[in-house]
Amino acid sequence: MQPFHDVLLLLVVLTNFWVLGTTRLSSMIRAAAMQGLLLAALPVALYPHVSLHIVGLAIGTLLVKAVVLPHFLTRAIREAAVRREIEPLIGFTASLILGAAAVALSFAITPRLELPDTPSGVLIPVALSTVIIGLLVLTTRNKALTQVVGYLILENGIYVFGLSQAERVPFLVEVGVLLDVFAGVFIMGIVVFHINREFDSLDSARLTELRD
Amino acid sequence: MILFASGLGLILLGGLAAFGLDRRPALADRVFQWSAVAGCLLALAPALSLLFGGGRWIGGPVDSIPAGPDALFGIDLLSAWFLPVVLGVGGTIVAYGVPYLRPERGHRRVGLAHLVLAVLLVALSGVVTARTIVAFLASWEVMAVAAWLLMIFEHEKRETWDAGMVYLVLTHACTLALIGMFAVWRGGLADWRFAQLTPSASSGPVATGLILSLGLIGFGIKAGAFPFHFWLPGAHAAAPSHVSALLSGIMLKVGIYGLCRMIALLGPPPAWWGWIVLLMGLASSVLGVLWALAQHDLKRLLAYHSVENIGIILMGLGLGALGTAYHQPALALLGVAGALLHTLNHALFKSLLFLGAGAVVRETGHREIDHLGGLGRPMPRTAFAFLIGSIAIVGLPPLNGFVSEWWIFRGLLGAGLASGGLRAAVVMAVGLALTGALALACFSKLFGVVFLGTPRDESAGPRAPAESDLIGPQAALAASCVVIGVAPGLIAPSVARIAGLILSQPEGGATLGALGSALPLSLLSAVLVLLIGLGWLARRWTLVRRLRRSSTTWACGYARATGRMQYTASSYASPLLAAFGPVSGIRQVRTQASFHTRAIEPVLDLLGRPLWSRVVAAAVRLRPLQAGTMRWYLLYAILCLLGLLLYLQFAGLP
Amino acid sequence: MSLTAALGLLAVLLLAPALPGIANRVKSVVTGRRGAPVLQLYADLWKSWRKGAVYSPTTTILFRLGPVVMVCTALLAAGLLPLDGTTSPIRFTGDLVAFAGLLALGRFMLVLSALDTGSSFEGMGASREVTFAVFAEPALILCFTVFVVATGDLRLQGMLGQPLTHTWVATAPSLLLGAASLFIVSLAETNRVPIDDPLTHLELTMVHEVMVLDHSGPDLALILYASALKMALFGSLVVRVLVAAAAVSTPMALGLLLIGLVVYAMAVGVVESVMARLRMNHVPQLLVGASATAGFGLILLLR
Repeated sequence: MQPFHDVLLLLVVLTNFWVLGTTRLSSMIRAAAMQGLLLAALPVALYPHVSLHIVGLAIGTLLVKAVVLPHFLTRAIREAAVRREIEPLIGFTASLILGAAAVALSFAITPRLELPDTPSGVLIPVALSTVIIGLLVLTTRNKALTQVVGYLILENGIYVFGLSQAERVPFLVEVGVLLDVFAGVFIMGIVVFHINREFDSLDSARLTELRD
Repeated sequence: MILFASGLGLILLGGLAAFGLDRRPALADRVFQWSAVAGCLLALAPALSLLFGGGRWIGGPVDSIPAGPDALFGIDLLSAWFLPVVLGVGGTIVAYGVPYLRPERGHRRVGLAHLVLAVLLVALSGVVTARTIVAFLASWEVMAVAAWLLMIFEHEKRETWDAGMVYLVLTHACTLALIGMFAVWRGGLADWRFAQLTPSASSGPVATGLILSLGLIGFGIKAGAFPFHFWLPGAHAAAPSHVSALLSGIMLKVGIYGLCRMIALLGPPPAWWGWIVLLMGLASSVLGVLWALAQHDLKRLLAYHSVENIGIILMGLGLGALGTAYHQPALALLGVAGALLHTLNHALFKSLLFLGAGAVVRETGHREIDHLGGLGRPMPRTAFAFLIGSIAIVGLPPLNGFVSEWWIFRGLLGAGLASGGLRAAVVMAVGLALTGALALACFSKLFGVVFLGTPRDESAGPRAPAESDLIGPQAALAASCVVIGVAPGLIAPSVARIAGLILSQPEGGATLGALGSALPLSLLSAVLVLLIGLGWLARRWTLVRRLRRSSTTWACGYARATGRMQYTASSYASPLLAAFGPVSGIRQVRTQASFHTRAIEPVLDLLGRPLWSRVVAAAVRLRPLQAGTMRWYLLYAILCLLGLLLYLQFAGLP
Repeated sequence: MSLTAALGLLAVLLLAPALPGIANRVKSVVTGRRGAPVLQLYADLWKSWRKGAVYSPTTTILFRLGPVVMVCTALLAAGLLPLDGTTSPIRFTGDLVAFAGLLALGRFMLVLSALDTGSSFEGMGASREVTFAVFAEPALILCFTVFVVATGDLRLQGMLGQPLTHTWVATAPSLLLGAASLFIVSLAETNRVPIDDPLTHLELTMVHEVMVLDHSGPDLALILYASALKMALFGSLVVRVLVAAAAVSTPMALGLLLIGLVVYAMAVGVVESVMARLRMNHVPQLLVGASATAGFGLILLLR
């Protein structure tokens, strides 16, 4: 059978596809929360010898990515009364195809990158594809909240990259990453609230109307 | 060769008779029809003896050095495969064309059209049997111009003239590319024979790359591959139906012949060329059938399907090139064999479809399918032949389209089991499945809207149902489709030999068995037909004892349906086209009071025409150079002379 | 043809009409109703077979031929599958293409017989059916490609038979992704929720049901049986992939397949009760998502 961490990484890719294909914002946030859960279990699966560092990382990730951030985003949805994503710049079907192509590309170019060895052969490709898919969601979607979710996925991808070196890199970096995410979402949440208050809508195309 | 030459001579004689005997139309028609068909059969005999009887060439091998007229033309195995396409299908087209053009005799030059048709057939035969560069290019040019003349038969119509112009520009671009290719290939050799174009004649990978690229561009334009296909829809739609059949069924294939001959002479191409051809094939097939779905002109739709099928043939050729480059000769053989068989199959069923379309257009006077409907009742035999053609072109068992696609599928799926870079090619199998499903959508739309249901436009009712004179050729083509579909084992060995020749594989090698036996497929087709027959009999036997009544279509109680309430072709295709978004080639035109969709030709309208107008604008700016006075022209001549003297002066320096 | 292969074919042919009944029964139970008997479709088939038929003068022979071709192609396609886990009655290299081709032929004739009636409802159903097929066919071939690359065999007998058992453990993630994708494709090909609701009575919302509005009597019986047989075929595909994990003897494999078919029908019923039907524009999205999942499985195998 496959090692457990590989299964977790494969499920991460599936949640990426889920985010790409769904139109309902609540479904998207659920997918991001699921991804946070998987990423919380990942350090424990990768480095089975239990140390305070690893356990702290896991619990911190769980709290922030799987509990606090989704809750915050759900509240934002309710306040802005937005339910669905409208047809994005390149269409849902094209997004799915591009996402699959991104995964293929990541798997194809990883052997050519000169990287130090990682505990799992699937780690780097999954991280790379998650980053690309996060960027894809960030750039092609219309609603600001979906762009926030895209940003979260991007940060998740960077986090998975970082996990490959978690043994050798000091604790501070993980805290820095998590704090970065938290700050980003906090700020974007405030911005979303203000956008909504100003325009009664979260269509980021209308931000061009911000003039004096 | 004597037989071959006399056959062609007979065709030409018939054409001249048709032109000369214009005063006595009935006699001219009969003479032309009989002599052309007899000539085709006569010229075909040597090729058939090569294919089925063994032997490798007639008139000297390609790579020998005989002197004399035999050196200009000759038949080897590859030519022998394409000659049935040219002459066999060509013969049926002539047999159809003569009665088809009979109503036009009063107001158009039908005799001239018959003569040009004869010339075109002879030129096509010349192209596939040429042994020297000059003979090849001369036949090529005659073929292109003759095709243009036939195409603009209805030259008073604006769109016909426009389409003819686009075709003329592109075919000369194609000839230019071919001249460039031969120039690079020949180097400085004094000999013009193909025998001299050996792999060693081209020096180095750069020259080989240039030859392959120029060849791909030139032959690709003629074959109608994406992105060079944009002359196809207009030209094939504007021509009279039997000429459209000839253009789609035969003339596109000489582009494929050129590619095969180039690979056979040059040796196995490098992997990058194979990938380009494979991708071009994939793009042509998917986009071709998608844009076909958007059309509602009967002949334009069929023309776009030719682009799709050329794409499938290119996928097979690309797979062949890749297989050889990655040392998988079995896969290469499957790809090229599939491509070759699909060439013949497409010639058969596309001509069949165009001939059927011609019958429909002649009977109803309409080319827009949204005005047609219910033609299955007044024209049952045409409808049946068209149904056979539709099932064949979608690639469904038990007909011939399925066999060639089966080989190409096997090759693509086998690529996934290979090692190395070839494995990525397995994704193309999904593309092939996509084109098959799109073709099914398109032809169910076409057949359903034209032949089934009730007429949508009462004025488009059939006139005199004189389909008896047009049905013979269609029946012959339909029968060939069925025979090849049910018994592919008859020609599979010949196809394998020719594919091996193209790929420069050793004679009698182990890979010839890679095609495997076609017997299971024949058995499957036979069992399928048997089962359907038994099922039909069982149903009849059951229904004999039951109460049968006739009543209007129920459709949940809407008894007042008229013909206009049926689904139109545009509505049928619209969910599918909407799913593909901007790629689908549909533009919506909205005014305050109306809304309609218009199908565009994306490459021509978005790329070709703007580019062309920019070229014309730049040329207009150069117009002042042609001042018209003698003084300026003398000045140009003096400047040119001075320039040459300066060049000679400085070129002589060490 | 071995005894178990013949028995398997016969069993699936006989069991097929029970599967929609199981699905509908599960759906009813989950929503708190009693629902129709599981063997209802057998009674419906018998009833329709004994009735007479009404034909519209607009229709031609294609209308009468459509149901016959549907059943014959489904029967022949069933002969290509290794239902007992080892051998198929008909086998040759590349027969998976023939499987898809035969079902496509059945679909083509069904669509033509629908357009033959000259009614706009049937035209609408035909249009939707071919639209969904454009996305379902590549997904099916992609799933087959996953199995081809996993087992190295180009015949259905190899892709779903013994070679699959040998490579199951090594290629499990790809196979599971392929099976999940196949399940969604089977929902599309058998016209069940979330692609099409078989129990709706509003014609504008139907896809398959509206194409067969005008068929009556023995023709309707043939069509109902063909649809049930298609459900059995696709169910067998999904179940075979999952059951191949266990290396058991041939009769045992056949038994597992039959039990698996019942479980498959129950799963379809549960999915139907839990999900609502998708908007028509979103069905391509779902099918492309299924293709992406299978594609991901293929990427894992090809790296």
